[in-house]
Order: sequence, then structure tokens, then C-alpha cells
Amino acid sequence: MKLTAALLDLDWTETESRIERFIRDYVENTGANGVVLGLSGGVDSCTVAALAARALGGSRVLGLMLPEKETAKSEDTEHSESVAEKFGFKTREIDITPALDEFHHSIPIFDPKDKVSDGNIKARTRMIILYYYANRMNMLVCGSSDKSETMMGYFTKWGDVAADISPTMDLYKTQVRKLAQHIGVPKTIAEKPSTPALWPGQLAESELGIKYELLDLILYGFEHFMPPDEIAGQLRIKPQSVQDVKNRWLSSEHKRRMLLPLKLGYRTIGTDFRLQRSPHEIDS
Amino acid sequence: MKMTEMKEKFKIALAQISCQQGDKKQNLKKIKEAVERSKNMGAELVILPEMSVTGYVIRDQVYELAERIPGPSTRALEDLAHEASVYIVFGMPEVSEKAQSALYNTAVIVGPEGLVGKYRKMYLPTHSVFEEKRYFRAGYQAAAFDTALGKLGLIICYDIYFPEVTRLLRLQGAKLFVCISASPGVRRTFFEALTVARAIENTAFLAYVNLAGIEDGLQFWGGSRLVSPSGKVLSQAKYDVDDLVLGEVDYSDIRPVEAFAPTLRDLRPELFDKLKEAAENL
Repeated sequence: MKLTAALLDLDWTETESRIERFIRDYVENTGANGVVLGLSGGVDSCTVAALAARALGGSRVLGLMLPEKETAKSEDTEHSESVAEKFGFKTREIDITPALDEFHHSIPIFDPKDKVSDGNIKARTRMIILYYYANRMNMLVCGSSDKSETMMGYFTKWGDVAADISPTMDLYKTQVRKLAQHIGVPKTIAEKPSTPALWPGQLAESELGIKYELLDLILYGFEHFMPPDEIAGQLRIKPQSVQDVKNRWLSSEHKRRMLLPLKLGYRTIGTDFRLQRSPHEIDS
Repeated sequence: MKMTEMKEKFKIALAQISCQQGDKKQNLKKIKEAVERSKNMGAELVILPEMSVTGYVIRDQVYELAERIPGPSTRALEDLAHEASVYIVFGMPEVSEKAQSALYNTAVIVGPEGLVGKYRKMYLPTHSVFEEKRYFRAGYQAAAFDTALGKLGLIICYDIYFPEVTRLLRLQGAKLFVCISASPGVRRTFFEALTVARAIENTAFLAYVNLAGIEDGLQFWGGSRLVSPSGKVLSQAKYDVDDLVLGEVDYSDIRPVEAFAPTLRDLRPELFDKLKEAAENL
């Protein structure tokens, strides 16, 4: 297998229709009224919101814009609103700054210098608000994580990754960008540099230390059982760079499998209780 | 059924359905509707997907859902086959009479005369998203059954990757292979090639019926098809969604293909011993 960007090219029409069918099917089967999602103005959330609107109709999709004073940018709000207008879904803006302030005051050991811990409060606060809306409005929370960041563990545990369905989690970032353009998300959004917006100036590629175009090919190699040396050789990069990605991928597995019960009983949650997602009550 | 009464030409229905996971009542209702529609369209054989009585992703609930054969589900479909005077092939989890732990992924054929037979899947995928060996015991017998529509050879999904199964069925006299399946989307290209290959290499008809719909995160791609002995796709159902299409089997179409590409005449049995030896020493 030759690792080139062409490998990441999918049939985008078919991919779009698979994702929309998945969203529709899951929402219908659970009897939910629709989906609510966090809308940051980035490519992932704008794309998923647009796909959800196509799947369900815009009136059943609510995009919550959840800015806070440190990272809020008017450009992001404009981007979110332009996509909402184009695809016809609803939006609402809630400033989470007061909630964050309360958390900061309530936590005796809070330290503003610890950016990561503080950033995680932001992501988890957004999750709380999304789930509140979902509960009140009988909606599902629709996630917009992609495969690159999820494999790299580049997300907040119980935060931005928390969702009832994650329709694009099996697409790498560069694939989400292509899908975005295919469905008509404006190019400025599709190509915009990604940021988790947990603190000012934060950029995903700088933090990960690698461009998504390269990262996605390395991850694609791992997905297809390629040894790190072969990946490095093909991509003409240092073996250590590939190893670093692999270490990061493996060391974050705990973030992707969040429950870890100790096995004490006969059958154990998450281990050998193996059930489908919505088990049917079987008449005896 | 005597071979003298065998029909040379008949219509089959590829009844591609999506299932409610674990809801036999609902699925049997859907199967009944599909059979009745097929009958009204003139089909004499109606084929449903693998595990169509229960849905495919049932995980630990298989222990509650598996039935003996004959059992309540096969009896309901026997009655239906009798009333509609058609043959029906469908899939379900089976539990052995002798051991509760012995479950099988089974294809069943019922007809106007009652329960014709069953086939227990021999190749159980346990890789990627599949976990069949965790639950099922593999069957030991290839299965070809005499019916008024000729000898039918049953296989299930992943069996199609192993050409020896259809070869054996063909050598036992089957001229129509029925492959019931629960194949998720990313494997479509494999199955589209394999269905054609198994038909050509055996100069036989092959009816492939796949599940549709989404069970947990798995999207079943549908695309059920009837392939002629020369590898032509005679009928094709839609991708991904429920569909019902008819196709016609005419056994007289086999003769010219057999003369054109006489694969059975050219079989080399001496290779089979070598194959066995090599496979045992892989």
C-alpha cells in the first residue's frame, strides 16, 4: 500500500448519505425530537450540524454556540451563523463565562496558570449545557469529534467528546474538510485551522506538532496494520516522529474507553456484559 | 420430492429487509409481509437475509433468542410457506437440543411440504467488527437440499470467501446457491466480486440476499442480487435500504455456459489432497 492522500479520498456522496441515514435512523429509533450540538464555528461542528440538518430537517437541529470571554471571536460566531442560515438549522448563543467564574470561585485549589485543567472545565461546562438542553427538549447530543483528534487523545475526557452519537468519528480531519466542501460548507470554514479554543491562540496543529495532512496518513497506516518503520520510510520522515504519534495514540486509549470497572462479579459492565446499544425486551 | 417433478424455470424473490434487533415478533411480521408480496409477484422461492428472525447484532441476547429447529419461529414460517405454497430461506440463531452452549448461526429452508432442512454456518467471522465464534459453534456439513425447484445449496455470508463450500455443493448437485448475508458497508466490493466468482467458477446460479438498515454502528449495504452461471447480474436490489426484487432462474441457461467454460469437467481432484496437506501446515 502506498501512503498517499488519495487513500483518504472517499465517495463523498455515498459518505454523506451514510452519515445522514445514520443520524436519521438513530434519532427515529430512540424517539428523540432531534439533535443538539455544540457549534464552535470550526469545520467539524459546522459540518456535522449541516449533515444533521439535511438528515432531520433544520427545525430539529439546534446548534448551541457556547463562547467564553478568553477565546470568543466574532469570526467564529459569524461562521456558525452563516452555516446555520445556509442549512436552515436553529442556533442559540450562551455565554459560559459566568458559569466558569462560579467554578473558579468554588474550587479551592483552582489555579488559572494551569491552562489544561482550566480548559477542561470549559469543555465540560459546554457538555453540561448541551445535555441540559438535550434532556429538556428530548433531543440527543450529537458529537462532532473526528478520527484524527480522537485517536490522538486530543480532546477532553467527558467534555467535547461526550455525545449520544458521533457521526464523523470515523473520518480523519482531512476527510472532514473534504466532506465539508462536498456538502457546501464555505471554504473559509472548511480550511480554517482547527482549535479546541480552550485558551487564546491555541492551534491544534501547533500543539500536536504535526500537520493534519501528514498525521492522517500516519494514522491511516496504523489503521491498516502498517509497522512504524514502513510508514516512516514511505512518508520520508524520521521513524521517531511516527513512533511519537503511535505513543500518543496508544497512551490515550483510556480516554476512548471511559468506564473501567474492576471485575468482581459473574458478568461485568463494559467487559463481559455484551449487549447491543438498545436491547429489546424479550418476551419469555 | 422426486427430481422428475423439478421445475426448470421459476422466479425467486430477493427479500432484502432491515430488522429490529432482538424483536422476533416484529421481524416475523416483516418476513410474512415480504413473503406475501413475493408470492403475489409470482415468486416460488423467497430469500431473506442472515439472522433475519432476530437481527444480526444481538450479542448476549442470542442466549435468549436462539431456538431449536424445529421450534416456534420455524413452525410459523412453515405454516406461511404451506399457505403461500412457496419455499422460504431465512436465517436465525439455533440452539442445540443437546447442549445449551451449542448455538449455531443457521439458515433454514421451509417449503409447501414443511421443514426442508437447515444449514449451520461453517465459517464464523471473528475479526474486525465480527464476534461470531464467541457465540456460535461452527457447523460441520455443507448442505444441499432437494426441492421442487431443484437442488438448492445454502451458504451464509463469510462462507462465500471459501470456494470449497460452493464447489462441494455444486458437486453434490446444487445448481442454485443461496447465500444469505449480514454484510456491513465497507465489505461491499468483496461481496460483489465473490458472488460473481462463485457463480462463474461453478457454472451455477447464485442468489445473494443481504441485510439492510443500521444495527448499532453497522450499516448493512443491501445490494442483494441474482447472478447467472456466466456471472451476469440478473437482478439487483437497492443499496442500504429495504427492497424486494424478483429474478428468474432458468436451469437451461447452465448448459451453454458449461460448454463454454467447462470448469467442472476440468476439475483436478489430485490437487485437493495437496490443498488439505498445505492447509494443515499453514
